[in-house]
Parts: sequence; structure tokens; C-alpha cells
Amino acid sequence: MGRQFYIENLLDHYENPRNRYKMEDATVSITGGNPGCGDLVTLYLKVDLEERVIAASFEGEGCTISQAAASMLTEMLIGKTLGEVREMDIDAFIDAIGREVIVTRPKCATLALNTAKAAERKYRAARVLQS
Amino acid sequence: MMEIDPNISAKGYARPEVLVSTQWVADHLNDPSIRLVESNEDILLYDQGHIPGAVQIDWMRDLNDQLRRDYLDSARFAELMARNGISNQTTVVFYGDKNNWWACYAFWVFQLFGHTKARIMDGGRKKWIDEGRPLTREKPSYPRAEYIAPERDDSTYRAFRDQVMAHSAARLPLIDVRSPKEFSGELLHMEAYPQEGALRGGHIPGAKNVPWATAANEDGTFKSAAELRAIYEEQIGLKPEQEIITYCRIGERSSHTWFVLHYLLGYPKVRNYDGSWTEWGNLVGVPIERP
Repeated sequence: MGRQFYIENLLDHYENPRNRYKMEDATVSITGGNPGCGDLVTLYLKVDLEERVIAASFEGEGCTISQAAASMLTEMLIGKTLGEVREMDIDAFIDAIGREVIVTRPKCATLALNTAKAAERKYRAARVLQS
Repeated sequence: MMEIDPNISAKGYARPEVLVSTQWVADHLNDPSIRLVESNEDILLYDQGHIPGAVQIDWMRDLNDQLRRDYLDSARFAELMARNGISNQTTVVFYGDKNNWWACYAFWVFQLFGHTKARIMDGGRKKWIDEGRPLTREKPSYPRAEYIAPERDDSTYRAFRDQVMAHSAARLPLIDVRSPKEFSGELLHMEAYPQEGALRGGHIPGAKNVPWATAANEDGTFKSAAELRAIYEEQIGLKPEQEIITYCRIGERSSHTWFVLHYLLGYPKVRNYDGSWTEWGNLVGVPIERP
């Protein structure tokens, strides 16, 4: 797949974002603020008793790449366990959204994924406090 | 001498030929001697739609050296021009997002290579869109051009840290164009941006703070010469003949102010310190002032 395919895919997610809403009953939510574009992403995750993500959504503002990547990420998160979210590989994510396109904006591209990993840590920390 | 856009001449600038209005651009869309260049912070804005015929030049991908912290060299600048169909005779008209912030940065880099046939579209991308003018997703293709680039001139418009240190020690005018909280040292980057890139906060001793966007109107156009003089001459006391250095964090916001002072107000001796706070705020042992 060429550069133009990835550009079109990113633009599609930016212009028609998936799962972009505030989740009132999220198990965990967290805001990540980022890179050279003033990007913000708030990520919402709802997990079941097996710690599997059954719903993921985001809100945010910022550059095209940061918001498109957040949309794409929410689709990838659904069905994963929080352990799998923690292990998600940043390089593989960059490849999935289009390394050649985002190569000069890696922080924008990985803001949502890093926020998801922070959400997993926040969830764990809350569980420790509850136990 | 480039023709002066009558829509710009009323604003009273010292060098009105460096700006053109959106209407002027609309009237020159099919002019083969003009190349429109879009330069943005958001690299995918161009792909969402750009002015028909415009090419994209990205500050990170195209203008920076990808290994060392520096700009591209003469050979790579010539190659960039050639593949975008820009010859030494082509007039380049820059425009972009965020009050032409990145367009001014690209304009500045072009001046390091002496490409003086360069102009900025007043109001940038936002004004063009707000006026309902056409955009396209079609990427133009131009025949390869011949371009002969001189060695990059780092002495006329660019300042380096030792020069800035001497400038500061001599209490010559330094303009810090960052936000007030960055100037005071409370933040290391703009509000809501990552607080990274420097180990210390504050400003270079003697600098005066005039945030870069002070020079822009709500619609992204530059303020008139009279309004700009009120800011830079009456409020902070700059004098046109002084040697002036502008800086910000990496030299991009300050290229906007450099453009304002050197071209719109006609000050002859203005340089941009692209090392800026990400260099100064990390240097061992240099003086820093707070607030």
C-alpha cells in the first residue's frame, strides 16, 4: 500500500471519526496532551470483568494526524485485554497508520496510543488503591 | 522589482511587494511565473485541500537536515526547487495555517538561499477558505526546473548562540516572541503543548516580550504598518536602525516577527536566532533572566 492509501485513510478517519464521543460510563478515562501541534486527546475505555475493552471512545482537538490516529486506535482497542493494550507495539501502530506519512510527526501519531497505555496504568493504580 | 498589489499598498509597509492579497493570488492562479507553496504546521491540511496549483513544502521534511540540527544545504535546496518546478526566475508565493506562521518560516529559509522572488499571501490558508475560494485535492505536477542555488548565507538573517550572547551582553534589542508564560519561565512551551525541549525556563537577559501573533489581525492578515510601529516602536522602543535579534523556541514563531520587522517595517538589520530557547534553555552556564 502506497503513501496515498495511508493519506486517504487518515483523512477518512479525521473527517469521519469513529467512536468520537464522551463515554459517561467509562471504566477509565484520561487526557493526554501533546506535541508540536497543541494536540489533546481524552480517551475513554469501558472494560468487562476480564479486563477486556468492550467500548473505546475519544474526544480531542489538534492536528489531523493526532485526531485520525485516535479514531483508528479506538477501533483497534475494542476486544483487547488491558494487558494487550499495555503490550501494544508503537512501531507496529505507526506501520498500521502509515509510517511514511507520519514520519516527521511521530508524537502526534502516537499520542492516542500513549494515552491508552496511561489509561491502563491509571486503571491498575485505582485497583491497587481499592484492594 | 515585483509588482505591488494595490490591496496591500494601502497598509503602508516599507516593502509592500513581499505581500499579496488572496484576490491577487486568485487572479494569478494560471500565471506560470508564479509558484504557490503551502507550508503548514499540520502536515495533512494540504491533502485535505489546497489552492489549485499549489505545492507543499514541509518545514520538517523538506527544509531541515534530517540528521543534524540545521537546514538543508545548497545542493538539496536546489533539488527541492527543481522538483517543485521552481527556477531562479520563479516568484514563490507562500501561504499556510496559523497566521502564516510556517509560511514565514519557509520564506525565511528561502532567504538564506537568496531566493528574493518570494512573497506571502496575506491572511494565509484560513482567509482563502473563509472567503469561499476554491480548494482542490489534486496534486499538481510541474516539469523539473533548472535551479542554481548559492551557498547558504548564515550571516545576514540568521543568528547563532555566541552572537546572541554578545548581543545580550551589549544590551542590544532582543525580541522574545513566545507567550508571556514561556517568557517568565512558568512554562517551557506554549499552553497545552508538551512542556519539553528545555531544562530551564526564562528568557535571554535583556529580551523584551512581544508574542508573535500580536502582529496579526483576527483574520490572519498582518496589521497595518502604523499599528505595527505602535507595537514595536512606541510600546517597546525599537529603533529601525538597530541590530535586532528575534527568537522563540526553535525559530519558527520568531521568523514571523523577523518578517514583520525586516520587510513590513523595513528595518535593515534583523536576524532570527533559530537555536532559540531549545538551545539557550539547555546550555550550561549561560545567563537566564526571570521573570
